[in-house]
Amino acid sequence: MFRSMLGKALGLVGYTIQYGCIAHCAFEYIGEFVVCSGPSMEPTIVNHDVVFSERMSRHLFKIQKGDIVIAKSPFDPNMNICKRVIGLEGDKICTSAQSDLFKTHTFVPMGHVWLEGDNLRNSTDSRNYGPIPYGLIRGRVCLKVRQPSVHPIGRQHSTGGPATTSDEITGFLMRSNASLKAV
Amino acid sequence: MRERTTSQIQPAQVAGLTLGEGVEMFRSMLGKALGLVGYTIQYGCIAHCAFEYIGEFVVCSGPSMEPTIVNHDVVFSERMSRHLFKIQKGDIVIAKSPFDPNMNICKRVIGLEGDKICTSAQSDLFKTHTFVPMGHVWLEGDNLRNSTDSRNYGPIPYGLIRGRVCLKLWPLHSFGTLSESPTKRIIKAQSDSDSD
Repeated sequence: MFRSMLGKALGLVGYTIQYGCIAHCAFEYIGEFVVCSGPSMEPTIVNHDVVFSERMSRHLFKIQKGDIVIAKSPFDPNMNICKRVIGLEGDKICTSAQSDLFKTHTFVPMGHVWLEGDNLRNSTDSRNYGPIPYGLIRGRVCLKVRQPSVHPIGRQHSTGGPATTSDEITGFLMRSNASLKAV
Repeated sequence: MRERTTSQIQPAQVAGLTLGEGVEMFRSMLGKALGLVGYTIQYGCIAHCAFEYIGEFVVCSGPSMEPTIVNHDVVFSERMSRHLFKIQKGDIVIAKSPFDPNMNICKRVIGLEGDKICTSAQSDLFKTHTFVPMGHVWLEGDNLRNSTDSRNYGPIPYGLIRGRVCLKLWPLHSFGTLSESPTKRIIKAQSDSDSD
């Protein structure tokens, strides 16, 4: 009886490991659900929004300018950050504030990306800590899950002007209220 | 007459058999193919998780870690230390290159977050120091003269570290654990030494 129970226990452990590994690989290579917190991506993503971030773009190196990405924080490897890609490697980024007389620029080094939140006034991003290595990116946010419908999140298309609430009502989050800084 | 009947019967019989049998054969082959794909995915995922959470074999190339690790050495790098945040000063780590996410680098950890690193060359009169920011590590190769490391590109985020090298497997005459840093670049904590 002990042997049969041990056998069953081992079988259960084996199945758990098996399906745990498959689930882990699904999260690693397909995508995962992320609960976002904080105000730095308003109005695109607000506090407590649930988004789906897919992993394939990152593994295939298809992250593009304007994508919203989930990345590991450069200052805390336990935390993740959710920001928009403003510039890829080699791009020129304008680092001066809009009110400055003299514009300063910087170039994004190889293998790095420049991230900024959509809520420029309330976001710590590459303007504070510089470009982050591409290797820290985990996935690309492609869908926002919000009752009662699902809203696809698109790349940024407009280069200026604040977004109105009517943009969200249409269901397609294509614009943000931050202008593209890349020149 | 008999030949004609047999010749008439045979194609019909053959046709009837191949149709039913053919469908069954196709279904069984499809089932086996799907089963094979299922097993491949299953064991592929288990292997991937083993490499992700236990360890992996790495072939090192380049002169930047001589004499500890030379060109074409095979080492085993374990992953648990990285996931449990137990990487310590003096460990040799494999990390993703900050300048090329496809490439990995193999260097020694000289300083963890908050440590003071001496950035001036040994021949300089005035010593300059820098502090490693939170969430970052300072890496240097053992072969200081021929290594691009944090002295060139600054500290790298901890999130880029993949694993800790714990065992050298090839060549066989140097099989075993790796030696301590031959450079005197690791500054021990205040409690360890009296000076500085």
